[in-house]
Parts: sequence; C-alpha cells; structure tokens
Amino acid sequence: MKYINRRTLLGTLFALPFICLTTPALAQSEVTISHYFTGELGLKAFGEQMEKFEAATSYKMKNSPVGHEDFKTDILVRASGSSLPDVFSYWAGARVQFIADSDSLRPIDQMWNEAGLDKIVAKTVADSATMYNGKRFLVPFNYHYSGMFYNTKVMADAGITKMPTDWNGFLALCKELQSKGITPIALGSKNRWPAQFWFDYLLLRSAGPDYRTQLMAGKASYDDPQVKLAMGMWKALVDAGYFVENANANTWTDASDQVARGDAAMTLMGTWITGYWNGLGLVPGADYDFFPFPSIMAGVPSASVGPVDGLVIGANTTNPRGAEEFLKFMVSDTGVQAAWSKAQGALSANVNVDASNYNSVMLKAFETVKNSDAFAFNYDLATPPPVAEVGLSMFARFMDDPSGVDEIMKQTAQDVAGAFKE
Amino acid sequence: MERDKRFWRIVLLTPPLLVFSVLIVWPLLSSFYYSFTNWNGFSSNYQFVGLGNFQKIWTDRLFFQATINTIIWMVSALLLPTLLGLVLALLLDSKVRGGKFFKTIFYLPICLSAIVVGQIWIWIYQPNWGLLNTFIEEITGDRFRYAWLAKPDSALFSVIIAWSWQQTGLSMVIYLAGLTAIPSEILESSVSEGATTWQRIWYIVIPLLVPSTVVVIALSVINSLKGFDILYIMTGGGPFNSSDTLAMHMYNESFKKYLIGYGSSISVVLFLIALIIIGIYFRQLRKFDQIYG
Repeated sequence: MKYINRRTLLGTLFALPFICLTTPALAQSEVTISHYFTGELGLKAFGEQMEKFEAATSYKMKNSPVGHEDFKTDILVRASGSSLPDVFSYWAGARVQFIADSDSLRPIDQMWNEAGLDKIVAKTVADSATMYNGKRFLVPFNYHYSGMFYNTKVMADAGITKMPTDWNGFLALCKELQSKGITPIALGSKNRWPAQFWFDYLLLRSAGPDYRTQLMAGKASYDDPQVKLAMGMWKALVDAGYFVENANANTWTDASDQVARGDAAMTLMGTWITGYWNGLGLVPGADYDFFPFPSIMAGVPSASVGPVDGLVIGANTTNPRGAEEFLKFMVSDTGVQAAWSKAQGALSANVNVDASNYNSVMLKAFETVKNSDAFAFNYDLATPPPVAEVGLSMFARFMDDPSGVDEIMKQTAQDVAGAFKE
Repeated sequence: MERDKRFWRIVLLTPPLLVFSVLIVWPLLSSFYYSFTNWNGFSSNYQFVGLGNFQKIWTDRLFFQATINTIIWMVSALLLPTLLGLVLALLLDSKVRGGKFFKTIFYLPICLSAIVVGQIWIWIYQPNWGLLNTFIEEITGDRFRYAWLAKPDSALFSVIIAWSWQQTGLSMVIYLAGLTAIPSEILESSVSEGATTWQRIWYIVIPLLVPSTVVVIALSVINSLKGFDILYIMTGGGPFNSSDTLAMHMYNESFKKYLIGYGSSISVVLFLIALIIIGIYFRQLRKFDQIYG
C-alpha cells in the first residue's frame, strides 16, 4: 500500500494557490451570467439566445439562473460578497441606481458608443433606463407594458363590445360585468408587486407623472391629497366588490388563470402575461386582448407603466471584454431580440426588430407605448428598495382591509419618511 | 513517531478549523462589526453609527411585532409537537392494530424537507379549492373561502400547525424509545396494585419519560430556532409582516431593504436571546443531572 509522504502533501498544498491563481487566466473565454428568466418559456428561450452568442463568438457562457423573486435577494448577497457574475439581468430604475451608487457595476459608455447602441436601442427606453449618475450601466434587453388584459369571450358574452377609455366608462364596465355575475377584476397580490400597478396608474392618471416622480423621490408625502385621491378611487373599486375575493392569497399566475378560465374578466398586468397565456395555448386577439388603463383627469399626460429588463456587468468582472461582447450581441442581433420578445411576451428594446414579429396584442402594446406621453417604471422599480418594501406591504394591507385606508396611509407616510432617511 | 503524530493532527485539523472559522466565526464577528455601521451590503462608503441601530430597534414597531411572533412561534413549536408526540406515543405503545403502519405514517413528515411540507400545506390552506376549506364546506354546507395564509390573524398559526404536523413524528419516536425502556415489572405491579390507566400514565410513565422529554425539548428548541425555511416558504413573513419572526425580520431588513447594518444589529439581539435560552437550558440540565444522576 502506498502512503502519501509529508513532502508530497506539503508540495500539493503549496501548489494549490498557484493553480487557483492561474485558473482565471484560463477562463478568459468564459462569461459567467446569472438571470431571473426561469419560467418554462423564458429559461429555454434565454438558453437558446446564449447558444447563438456562443456560436457567433469564441466565448462560452456559464449560466446560473435564479427564480424571479429569489433573484432580488440573491444578486445583492453576491454583490455584498463581491462575487457578482460577469453579467447579470436586472430591472432598470431604482434597483440599478441603488447598486450603481455602491460602485458595484461597470460603466459601459465606451462599448455603447463603439457599438452605436444609440441608433439601436429604443429612445424611450434608453433615456430612462440606461444612465445612472451620468454614466451608462445597463443594456436594455426588453421592456414590458402594463395594461388591462381581458378574456375576450367573457366580455363578448356579457355583451361588451367597446372597451372604456375614461374612468366613468371603466366603472360602468365593472358594474355591467358584476350585474351579469362576472367578477370584473382579478388580482393576485400574494407576492405584493402585482397590486402596485393599480397604485401606479391611479396616481399617474390623476396626479400626473411629475407628481409621481416627486413622490417616488421622497419630495412628496403619502399623506398628500393626490395620494389620498388615488387610494380613494382604488377603495371605491374594492368596496364595490369589483375585485376577486382573497387577492392576497393568489399569485399573478393564479389571477391570470382566473381570467383565462373566465372566473374574472380582466387583470391589470404586464405584457409577460401574453407569454404565459400563449404557453397555455390561448390565442392572442381571439382568446385575450387588452385595453390601456383609462384616463381619469383631463389634461394629465398619458403615461405607460412597465419594467425594463436589462443586462449589466459586475464591477469586479474578470472578463470585461467577454461581458461587453455579450451585452452588445444580445441587444443588437435582431434575430435574438425577435426570438426573445416572442418567447417572453416582451417588447423588443431594439428599434430595428420588425414589428411584424409581434402578435396582434403585442403590436397594440407596442403602439400604445409609442404613442404615450411618458414611460414610467412600475412602483418597486421607481422608488428606492427600502421605500418600495414599505409601499408594497401597504398595498397588500390595503387589499386585505381597505376600510382602514386612512390609518394605513398615515403609517405609510411615517414609514416612508423613515426609509428615505436610511 | 510522536513528531509524526503531531504533524498529522495539525494537517487533519487545519481544514475543519479553517472551514469553521470562515463559515461561523468570521460571519459572527462581522455581524457584530456591521451592527455598529449603516452599511447597505455592498457600498464601500459607510459610517459608524455607534449604538444607533440598537436605539432604532426600540422604536421599530415591526421588531416588537416580530419579537411577539417569535415568542408565540417558539412556545407553540415547543409545546404542540411535544404534547402531540407524547399522546401518539402512548396510544401506539399499547398494542393497537396497525401500530407499525401508523408509526410509519406519523413519522413520515419528518423525512420531508420544509419546502415540501410548506407546499403541501399551502395547498391544504388554499382558499378556493384547498382541503381545509373544502372539508369545512362539506361539514357546514356553507360556502367557505377563508384565506388562512393571507389573513394577518391566522397566517402565523397556520404555519405553526404545518410545522407541528412535521415535527410531531420526531417527538413520537423519541417517546416510543423512552416507553420501551420502562421496565414492564413496574407497570405490571402497578396494575396488580389497582392503579387506573390514567394513574399509571401520570404517576409512573410520565416521570420515567423525563429523560426523553429533555431530549425532545432540546431538539424542539433547536428546530424551532431553525424554523425560518417553512415560514419563508408559506408566508414570507406576510401578509404585511404579520408572521414575521425575528429571523425573518432580520432577513427582510438586511436583504429586502438592504439595511445590512440594521439587520446585523437585529442578529446580534437574536444571538443574545439564543444565548440566554441556551444558558437557561444548560442550567436546568445541570439540575436535572444532579437529580437523575
């Protein structure tokens, strides 16, 4: 039997650090990536786009996807340990701002200019999503639009042929549906964020985008009459019984299923619902459609709400060149962008993607965003994360018991003021 | 020879000591350090705030809610599985038909991970088609749509029931082992002396099960302190923080609000509480050793 002698053992121990130090050099052709596209369709489609990148270049992608909700925490834990991947997906807005402020991201201005991305990326998206602290950090991969998605058969059976464009029309629609025994609105606020779109639109349509920007930045208070008015309108809808029972017990897919089954008529959700419904075999335009959130106050600009999914590079990347190549490829290749937007139910960030790639519903969403006066990030991407936490809990609490709205708003105003001081 | 032995001891002990230092000691010391800062988790610019975070704890209403929830969680997570385990062990120790089958069935949940248990109970509690509401509807004949996990009054208790369902099997097995160690002569002589079943249980069996109870309590306390995962899966501390425990509150503050400094101060308080509980437990254990030798 052969024994390890001391000399061999010590030799191995001394050799280990050397091996570890030389490994990164060998891994220069590898780009590590983490993303939150883990739904059945998203995971497969994202993998396919990465394969296209690998085929077009000499780089290899090392993929570590993390579930959507867990990603929010996971990536920050990795940031705190300075172990971010070379590239990761992230939601443009306050979240990117938060980590850009902490010097955890690598600026991409040079790559952006060299690749001429100004001519490739949709201006609406580029203006709001890519610049932070005067530097460019994010390449938009796609964006979404939130609208009132409905079951066409349910609406037709209820005799509704024209979708509302103003608030009175919307209230009349809800009343009509309810009188026919149909719950008008599905909401799955178990994970809190789906409720935020109601707050976003009610505030944007009544107080306007400028006021909302002030509120999101802590320059206005949740005690203000503008917020009270928006919450009052929301309360009136809940009190009238227009929302499904137990919204806080359901996820957004549960709510989508309720609409797909015809248990509810519509749900206020992002365009990713089309990816989900298409995956269930529903036909866009025939089985489902959408209408923009109705106007409330005359003269208030028509803002569209939604998130922008982007790709960013970690500050400590060991492979900056590979990471930049990947970002550039994913946004500039029209084939990648078209395939991705189809699979994910998203709007392409690349202006050169032929609009004929969109189905009828997505095309309508595309036109709606294009004709909007402004594009606003949804609540949890528009305000700093500590504040978003307070607000998201407030929405869930409100949906549980809207009768306490005054007390809830008073407490929220206090908590938000505290969160802004952090 | 002695030199060789010493060499191998150092070589073999170094890796586990390194792992222990990196994974336990270093994070523990880091937490203490960061609890005096306003670090957000990744910024290199942060300040020392002295005892600021600890002062904030006193004005944090969510901290107090989490403390009350933690007490409810620990007491319930200790009492329910212990009592249910004891009752089941006493029932199954008598020669009932299908005893082995029931022992297996009752023990099975402990083999499942918290994620699986949480998911099973999420389905049971589902308001529209869940087993519990359907059962209540069948019994009462009325439509029943209570959202057990989405209501602040019931969320924590619903998770406690799921937790107890999983943990009872463990207490039951320990008590069954304890019951088999009780000499049959004692029980037989008590029968011949005319003791009733209840008297036998109360005056003979339960006192003789004290060593098993010590083990059950120790495991229950340790497991309840680890009970973060099932809460995370089933409620995530919600709805609106109503089922937040201190561990969950620390997690939310640290990783959802990115207040690592403040989260660290909560973890320090949690550490001190655990230290006190462990201290009390060891003191009682010493007393117990003196009595039972």
